[in-house]
Amino acid sequence: MWHRERIPLLLAFVQSVLVVGWCFTEMEAGPGAAMSTQTNGDRFKIEGRAIVPGVKTQDWVSTARVLVDGEEHVGFLRTDGSFAVNDVPSGSYVVEVVTPTYRFDPVRVDITSKGKMRYARLVNYIKTSEVIRQPYPLQIRSSGPHSYFMKRETWGWTDFLMNPMVMMMVLPLLIIVLLPKVVNTNDPEMRKEMEQSMNMLNPNPELPDVSELMTKLFSGSKGSSKAGSSSKGTRPAAKRR
Amino acid sequence: MAKLILLWLKCVILYNAVGAVFEDQVGKFDWRQQYVGKVRFSHFDTHVQSSKKVLVATENNVFAALNTRTGELFWRHVDKSGPEGNIDALLHHGQDAILVVGNGRLLRSWDVNVGGLNWEIVLDSGSFQKACLVGQQGTVKNVAVLKKNIISLHYLSNGHQKWIENLPESETVDYQTVYSGGNGEVYALGIVPHSHVVIIAYSTDDGEIIKQISVEAPWLSNIVASCAVIGQGVLICVDSATPSLYMCDLHLDTHDLQMTQIPLQSLGLEVAPDFQPVLVSHQPNSAHQPLSEFFLQLGPDNFLLLQLNNGQIVTLRDFKPALLVSFATTGEKTIAAVMSPKNKTACSINLFSAETGRRLLDTTLIFVMDPNGGKPEKIYIQPFLKKDDSVGYRAMVQTEDHTLTFIQQPGRVMWTREEALSDVVTMEMVDLPLTGTQAELEGEFGKKADGLMSMVFKRLSSQLILLQAWIAHLWKLFYDARKPRSQVKNEVTIENLSRDEFNLQKMMVMVTASGKLFGIDSKTGSILWRHYLEDVPSNAAFKLMVQRTTAHFPHPPQCTLLIKDQDTGLTTLHVFNPIFGKKSHVNPPALPQPILQSFLLPLMDQDYAKVLLLVDDQYKVSAFPSTKNVLQQLQEMASSIFFYLVDSSQGRLSGYRLRTDLSTEQIWEVVIPMEIQRIVSVKGKRPNEHVHSQGRVMGDRSVLYKYLNPNLLAVVTESTDTHQERSFVGIILIDGVTGRIIHEAVQRKARGPVHVVHSENWVVYEYWSTKSRRNEFSVIELYEGMELYNSTVFSSLDRPHAPQVLQQSYIFPSAISTMEATLTEKGITSRHLLIGLPSGGILSLPKMFLDPRRPEIVSEQSREENLIPYAPELMIRTEWFINYNQSISRVRGIHTSPSGLESTCLVVAYGLDIYQTRVYPSKQFDVLKDDYDYMLISSVLLALFFATMISKRLAEVKLLNRAWR
Repeated sequence: MWHRERIPLLLAFVQSVLVVGWCFTEMEAGPGAAMSTQTNGDRFKIEGRAIVPGVKTQDWVSTARVLVDGEEHVGFLRTDGSFAVNDVPSGSYVVEVVTPTYRFDPVRVDITSKGKMRYARLVNYIKTSEVIRQPYPLQIRSSGPHSYFMKRETWGWTDFLMNPMVMMMVLPLLIIVLLPKVVNTNDPEMRKEMEQSMNMLNPNPELPDVSELMTKLFSGSKGSSKAGSSSKGTRPAAKRR
Repeated sequence: MAKLILLWLKCVILYNAVGAVFEDQVGKFDWRQQYVGKVRFSHFDTHVQSSKKVLVATENNVFAALNTRTGELFWRHVDKSGPEGNIDALLHHGQDAILVVGNGRLLRSWDVNVGGLNWEIVLDSGSFQKACLVGQQGTVKNVAVLKKNIISLHYLSNGHQKWIENLPESETVDYQTVYSGGNGEVYALGIVPHSHVVIIAYSTDDGEIIKQISVEAPWLSNIVASCAVIGQGVLICVDSATPSLYMCDLHLDTHDLQMTQIPLQSLGLEVAPDFQPVLVSHQPNSAHQPLSEFFLQLGPDNFLLLQLNNGQIVTLRDFKPALLVSFATTGEKTIAAVMSPKNKTACSINLFSAETGRRLLDTTLIFVMDPNGGKPEKIYIQPFLKKDDSVGYRAMVQTEDHTLTFIQQPGRVMWTREEALSDVVTMEMVDLPLTGTQAELEGEFGKKADGLMSMVFKRLSSQLILLQAWIAHLWKLFYDARKPRSQVKNEVTIENLSRDEFNLQKMMVMVTASGKLFGIDSKTGSILWRHYLEDVPSNAAFKLMVQRTTAHFPHPPQCTLLIKDQDTGLTTLHVFNPIFGKKSHVNPPALPQPILQSFLLPLMDQDYAKVLLLVDDQYKVSAFPSTKNVLQQLQEMASSIFFYLVDSSQGRLSGYRLRTDLSTEQIWEVVIPMEIQRIVSVKGKRPNEHVHSQGRVMGDRSVLYKYLNPNLLAVVTESTDTHQERSFVGIILIDGVTGRIIHEAVQRKARGPVHVVHSENWVVYEYWSTKSRRNEFSVIELYEGMELYNSTVFSSLDRPHAPQVLQQSYIFPSAISTMEATLTEKGITSRHLLIGLPSGGILSLPKMFLDPRRPEIVSEQSREENLIPYAPELMIRTEWFINYNQSISRVRGIHTSPSGLESTCLVVAYGLDIYQTRVYPSKQFDVLKDDYDYMLISSVLLALFFATMISKRLAEVKLLNRAWR
């Protein structure tokens, strides 16, 4: 898990940059904030249209709703995908199209006290004064279906082979099989050299090898008479190596 | 760009941190039930002969189409709750349904087939009175809306206003209803109570007043309650004082119009004493005149079918006893349906020809009333013509407990919908009882020991019983295996309910606002018992408490429901068995005084029932159960029993202590000045919460101990000043025993609604920041420090050191509806916050995101501790929605309950819908995952086994060859 170790550092750097930027922008009051003083009486309308590319509107409008500031105001979608939320007082609102299947990004809509100057922008909760204008009436395009589910880890050959345990098993095996082919074991000089190195690895030749002990034990218990000849054969073989 | 990178990084980090739902788990252990609420208006879709839809508009501001075959929803539209989304009227024409919403604020037209909106328009302001469809020359093209002072006509096709007219003299005349007989005129009927009726006819084409008449009617006070229009535009009213019927023809063009009086005695009729007679008329098609037949109700169980024939009223049939009547039309035939009581448990519905009053053959339908339900309240008839031109029908019966029952002839219930469940107020999850054999074993330990030999015999006999049960089980398995799978019944009934090995299946006891109690199996969602409490006041507050769990066999489990009338404060107790729903034979005490506070003590009486203490307005305490044993225990314990009272109307919090004579003494009081702020909510900790992680291990291997005060209260206040610059939200942490204020925090430029979760050593709350116009979360955590003062027991009276308080706030990119924390058996598993969103999702947000120790600058130690670096914005990822696309409308509460597995927490979210699922906040660490790959493991083992066999053989051969060499 190398990325876990390193990313926080990187993140912290990004974070600090971000926080500084945020502090600066927070000083000035957003244009929407000045506007959100409410006047009684006048009520306005938020209009727009929601589009799911490639899907018939009839298939999804019956499950969709338009939520303005949570459930403060609720609108419904017409059979052609357009909507109008009526009876909204002036202010600044987050408009969201909600369906269980498709994802729509929320949009902020500001209505002036006169109800004339309306503009829509992308929602940014951190930099509330940043304005990226959107067309009005709203055109909200779905960015695809919601992904609710995690993928199950499926079993694949590559995953299996890249597993460190498997690597540990396979690599020595390869070495054991391939090395004798590469190195000429019949060369007496080479053999001498190898024996020397083996002796260095095994400082006390008197001590019985654990693996040898185990094989003796198992072969003895399984089939003593049948394995008799073979167990005799294993010892010189092991010693030769 | 920086934000994007940040987001991506976060995703990478959290990929392994949080689990979610896998696609193959859908519906495995979760279920959802969707409701609409108490039906106010209902229409059968008769547009197409084979239509299976019934349209319902409910008191919960829901408009939906139900499938008449199954009772399931085709579609449902949930409007804003409260008076602004209130559905005032439902008119149905063809494939359009016209709704008047929010006291005449909006007029909407829905496409019934698709469930989409055709159009929506805003109506002029004014209090809504009545709406009707207006037809002309046999077709319906307009809808008329009558308000207090205006009448307007709109096109059905697009909602555009055709004309709008001010009603004359609207200050004095109370216009109440509007009528159209399909002849090009719209009548607005108004009344000056106890003086005269005003009739104004407008032209459908241009809104011109054709005529304006006033008719003397000094006996009349309300048109809607006592009048109806029948036949060729005859207004007929009933007066209970005289008692007589009054008639006048709306079409007559004379200015000295009189109401002709027909005394009921002349018809040979009599009104039941103290009963306001009611008229029921029927207009099969808005483009035509109403029927000249109508119902007159003369008493609670007496209806008459009358006919107006050439100015004469003829009695067609007298129905007595009859509970409910209804008209219905199919094709050209109009029928009258009458429901009459048959015996104590059943009612019968019969059809009668509306024109003649003759009973139609083979139309009897038996409706069996649920003994635990309410009385029938309304019937809706769906008639259809059979092939031989006779009339068949189905009926939908609505009862007092908000249940809808759809029945077919001769009485087969096709479906029932328990709409009371759309308004769950409170709930508990109760462990299921052990099976008979398990209970037998348990009972052995419960009984008093009486000698060695008998104990041995008892042990042997219970062992024998176990063996017997096991053999029976084996036999059943064998027997079932031979049968085809479809025949094997796996239904859950109340009889075969028993606890499963991990205690994952529980009984959900739900209390609804209508006063109906339900017992629901948490595994399948099937309703196992229901009980309707009849005398529940409409504004009651409920509190449900489990006094005895199922753990004390042979004593039955016991729940107590406290029902408090919020106006008078008078309280009644309902004691019942949560498994079977039956009322307990234990008699609850009568409570003549209003109750201020109630709480369960950990004390138990000799029958293992926890003691419930009730504090009345004289500050006297009464106990339930109040046996001698309990009173004695209370006297011993009195000095250590403390409780608190909240008086939010005066901003006062006060703490009391129990005296040995069950009177009380006040020991502390905190007054929050009412002029500045008011108390919104007070939250303590859940009594069944266990915390078995005393502290947090720091990066340097030292331990930071949690401040785990079980008596801590979180008091949330909001400013009375709602101006966005001056409003604030305050939170005060008070020790409930000593009244000591542990911590106080104020969030400036913020307002409610505030949602609070208080658990372990932390408080999380959410509020609206008026300055930045966003929702924010704030978390407060309390720590004792590096050393524990007294590690064995916590006492509020002996904690000299104030805890360390840490706080951090975050931005949350959505409004929230409700919030709750997960709960597990031992409190070792990490915690998640379950957040109900207005969009219908339930977000499972790991508590580690709301950790005030999240560092702004990452250090070696914080990384060692696995702290996530601080980021101002919390994320909503749809992968964290525990209910994937099963969205839940208007989530009002989330109930969490521990299961037998430490990793698993049972979750029930309720609102308009009910959703039950399980969550694994730290993944399933104590059981094998359900995707555990048995195949892979066994195949690898087998492969290794064979490989050793083969290699051994090969080695042997090789050695043999070498030996020969």
